Amino acid sequence: MTENKNFKRKATVKILEDRCKGCWYCVNYCPTKVLVVSEKLNAKGYHPPEFREDEEHVCIACHLCELYCPDFAIVVEELK
Amino acid sequence: MSLMEELRMNEENLLRTERLPHVWCPGCGIGIVLNAFLRAVMRRKIDPNKLVVVSGIGCTGRAAGYVNVDSFHTTHGRGIPFAVGIKFARPDLNVVVFSGDGDLFAIGGNHFVNAARRNHDLLIIAVNNFTYGMTGGQHGPTTPTGAYTTTTPYGNPDRPFNIPHLAISLGAPYVARWTTYHVNQLQNSIYKALGMKGFRVIEIISQCPTVYGRRNTMRTPLSMMEYFQKNSIIKNDASFEELEIKYKGRIVVGEFRNVQGIPTYEERYEDIIRRAQNES
Ligand SMILES: Cc1ncc(C[n+]2csc(CCOP(=O)(O)OP(=O)(O)O)c2C)c(N)n1
Ligand code: SF4
Ligand code: SF4
Ligand code: SF4
Ligand SMILES: [Mg+2]
Repeated sequence: MTENKNFKRKATVKILEDRCKGCWYCVNYCPTKVLVVSEKLNAKGYHPPEFREDEEHVCIACHLCELYCPDFAIVVEELK
Repeated sequence: MSLMEELRMNEENLLRTERLPHVWCPGCGIGIVLNAFLRAVMRRKIDPNKLVVVSGIGCTGRAAGYVNVDSFHTTHGRGIPFAVGIKFARPDLNVVVFSGDGDLFAIGGNHFVNAARRNHDLLIIAVNNFTYGMTGGQHGPTTPTGAYTTTTPYGNPDRPFNIPHLAISLGAPYVARWTTYHVNQLQNSIYKALGMKGFRVIEIISQCPTVYGRRNTMRTPLSMMEYFQKNSIIKNDASFEELEIKYKGRIVVGEFRNVQGIPTYEERYEDIIRRAQNES
């Protein structure tokens, strides 16, 4: 997470890592590229994505990642 | 809480989460279709106790095992006849058949044709991944001409079913086709169909990277999704020729028929019972 105070957060994205199978639809179709392939490995041996924002990449809470995930592994929590 | 957050939260209650992760391969499109379906059900505010999901056999057929409502995993090809029976016994229920292309159009083809002709009050979610996924990728009734499968190593000589056209020719009141790339349109289409009566057919072109994609130069989930993204065009008034799926060709998607007011089989049957009782 950035230290930049001007940066307004819209949502936080929770990855249910044990459900993920590493298809990368979420990473590919996220319009602002805040989901990235992580180094982590889950129990099944897949790399779940990681939610990573910075000054240029901010989640817009569009929920597209949830709609594309075939594994019900993503929950977008909007921040008020 | 926003509507989207609410849908996501309630979706967990409609899933048998203790069975997740599900059996489908990485990037298999069936999960995307199930997700769209569950969201449409919630938006329609359908009481889960008034919903029945019926599947045949196949990877798609496994969907019945993941929904937290009454569901039937029937024998191969027999999803539609089971669903017809449920609807006869309990006309108050919303009955949905969620199954694969091989199940619905090969072994179950005759049931599909006759149930459509009689306009049974069922919603058919037909996941077309161009192959028999579960049994290792044989060619089936929707495999495009020329496609490589385990049983067509030199390319498929057969011509595939034109599913929307078939359904329209049988008088189905609602007929649409989307791909798994069209996540929003698909959900809206299911939402719309859930609010209608009669034999409603939604074909979803879906990816099976594991046994279909790998033999047809689309080895990864993303490469299959990119094929759908680049080659789909929306055309609601598409002709027979445009609706035909050609190997690696364009995929015409859209809502091809939407007609209200055709009496369903169940309504006509009720009417006959009423008339017979009045005569006796
Ligand atoms: C009576 C009978 N015949 C054959 C089979 C073998 N079988 C299992 S699934 C399947 C095809 C499934 O294809 P499809 O409906 O397209 O589902 P997919 O796995 O592609 O989702 C077949 C032929 C069977 N289970 N029962
Ligand atoms: S909600 Fe939209 S912007 Fe945020 S991570 Fe998901 S796809 Fe990206
Ligand atoms: S779409 Fe879902 S299964 Fe695929 S990589 Fe993202 S979180 Fe994992
Ligand atoms: S074999 Fe194909 S259809 Fe079956 S789960 Fe795997 S990707 Fe999906
Ligand atoms: Mg199939």
